Amino acid sequence: MATYLKIAFTLLFFTIFISCKKGDLPVDEDGLLITGRTECAVTNFELVGSDFITVRSKVPTIDTTAQIVNVEVLFGTDLKNVYPQFSLSTDCKLEPKITGKMDLSDLANPKTFTVISGNRQVRKPYKLVIKYQ
Amino acid sequence: MKLKVELIKYPLFLLLIVLAAFGCKEKEYAIPDPVSQLSNDCIKRSLGPNLVGFLPIEFTYAMALPKVQGKLVSAQVEASIAGAAGTFLENRSFFTNAGGQDIPVTVATPSVNEANKTRVTFNVDTNAATLRYFYTIPEEARGKSVSFTFSATSSDGKTVTFNMGPYTISKMDIKRNLAVSNNNAAYISIENMVVYNATDAAANPGKVDLVYLYRTTPTSFTHALVSPAAEAQYLPGVVLPAGVNRSSKILKANIIEANLVRSFGTYTSQTASGVYIDDKDFMDINLSASPNYATGLRAEQGTWVETSDGKYRAYIFLNSINTNGSAVISILRYTLQ
Repeated sequence: MATYLKIAFTLLFFTIFISCKKGDLPVDEDGLLITGRTECAVTNFELVGSDFITVRSKVPTIDTTAQIVNVEVLFGTDLKNVYPQFSLSTDCKLEPKITGKMDLSDLANPKTFTVISGNRQVRKPYKLVIKYQ
Repeated sequence: MKLKVELIKYPLFLLLIVLAAFGCKEKEYAIPDPVSQLSNDCIKRSLGPNLVGFLPIEFTYAMALPKVQGKLVSAQVEASIAGAAGTFLENRSFFTNAGGQDIPVTVATPSVNEANKTRVTFNVDTNAATLRYFYTIPEEARGKSVSFTFSATSSDGKTVTFNMGPYTISKMDIKRNLAVSNNNAAYISIENMVVYNATDAAANPGKVDLVYLYRTTPTSFTHALVSPAAEAQYLPGVVLPAGVNRSSKILKANIIEANLVRSFGTYTSQTASGVYIDDKDFMDINLSASPNYATGLRAEQGTWVETSDGKYRAYIFLNSINTNGSAVISILRYTLQ
């Protein structure tokens, strides 16, 4: 009997500390919350160089129908060492992830980034088209 | 009955564990004992990497003893590597007045350097002093460590010592405020850390790593550092002296390095921010994917550079730029081989 009581007290003790459980909200493989949103678009784009200063020569144009981001960069921009920065619709995420500087120097073969909606059901590939000033 | 005791004992046991885990009490502050004998203390005042031939390493050494026990006789600093010319221990003691200014009071004869020792002898009756020590870094200390032993003696025959260091002496070299100008003093040598005009560049073609140029078209070209071997579109209108053909890797950066931006005797807000480039930064940076040109450079911006022979890495900082096609640059260089 005493053993059962000890176990019960121990469980009670740990329950006090650990029982604050989060609601059962779904998360994806990145630990990000899966919501009900279906919006799926690039809303803004920035490209900065190794000095973290913009290399754009003008505001980028984002065609959400054709799913293309057009960027014009300054003369002499070192496109092997740039950091692209995407702004997305609420709750969206991007594939592939941008974890550091990227090589975007192959202008003939534009890189494609896929936007995934908040509910993770809609996927829209965006082509990043870069040209020099 | 036994069960009742268990019921009481077990929660108490748990409470004890909780108290043991969280009940550590902070140690209360105790007023230190007043100085009862000859004592000393030391701080290092200078910041950043220790560069040969640049600013000295600066310390402040304080020593005191109760008046009833006597007075200070001498103070000495022993460096593990003898300091270069210009190494000295102040013979003036400083105190800070109400306005925050450091006020000197002469308390000793000027310091004397003997081998790796620097010594002053007190010539006033004082039982407390704070002396500054300036160690001019010698060439032989480059890449090594240097330590210091501060010591003071008093008239009652006591001696105290204070050890500082070891401090690593950088392998870097620094050259500041070099004027460059379009089509004139435009040829930069990392190896010699100088700027050549076309005539001197022709005489030293193997030493020229970069060309400074300024162009208004295209509008984003402006101030640029370009390797002689770069594509012609990055050297518009430039006729290179014979044999000038090296190709350095260049990467733009935005580091306002404190020693490069510093004006002697004054401290700007940037130097106060204390951003320094050290040997490790040069060792770690990878410039293999960098181009051989950098255009559109701005004032207080810099570029990492690696020479074509892989012998040097450098950080070239633009202190100032001028739209007449000139700039002032400073170079921090690290020897790789």
